[in-house]
Amino acid sequence: MIEITEQDFSLDEIIKKAKRTDAGAVVTFLGTVRDDGIEMMELESFRESALQELESIRGEAVARFGLKSAEIVHRVGLLSVGDNIVAIVCSAAHRDEAFLGCRYIIEELKKRAPIWKKEIGENGERWVGRE
Amino acid sequence: MLVKVRAFAGFREILGKERELEAREGSTIADLLSELASNSPRFKESAFDNSGVLRDYVLLMWNKKKIDPCQDLSLEMHEGDELAIFPPVAGG
Repeated sequence: MIEITEQDFSLDEIIKKAKRTDAGAVVTFLGTVRDDGIEMMELESFRESALQELESIRGEAVARFGLKSAEIVHRVGLLSVGDNIVAIVCSAAHRDEAFLGCRYIIEELKKRAPIWKKEIGENGERWVGRE
Repeated sequence: MLVKVRAFAGFREILGKERELEAREGSTIADLLSELASNSPRFKESAFDNSGVLRDYVLLMWNKKKIDPCQDLSLEMHEGDELAIFPPVAGG
């Protein structure tokens, strides 16, 4: 599954989707809103383009690390401290490939997927990554 | 001809999420950006430096394909084309 959603997600449900009988390892990455003195975080995507980019990244990870599955869910909308932002769940025959694949997907997502976040605090608002 | 402009993040706050613009036949991407700048001082200040050069944090997609602002601003637009304007991505 690749999803960009305004709804929260269940990591357990995503793990269920990622499990395979021929996979002995499932690695998850869960990104959450960190309390950097902010009150809220607003996430926005160029949805069609982001979905396309995430599909490409997943395809690269599956091919490069021999993953059995790779699931990616990214939230958009207004989030609070501690809320889930992104889940990446990779399954592979062995843990090394699953760890590497998961790491590859989150790093490439951060570099390539057209998704933005704005930190909102009592002292104002700031789009992340503009500096 | 009509072309569509979509803007995201900080540029959406200035230009709006989506708008259609009437452009002359043969208009280039640079022409379209200049028109947006002439209609919005905030966009001009945000997207162009004092010498009128597009700032390096302005990223562009033309019909959902990334383009290089250093080389591709002279591309001609056509009826129904879509130009997306956004800052560096920051998901995850």
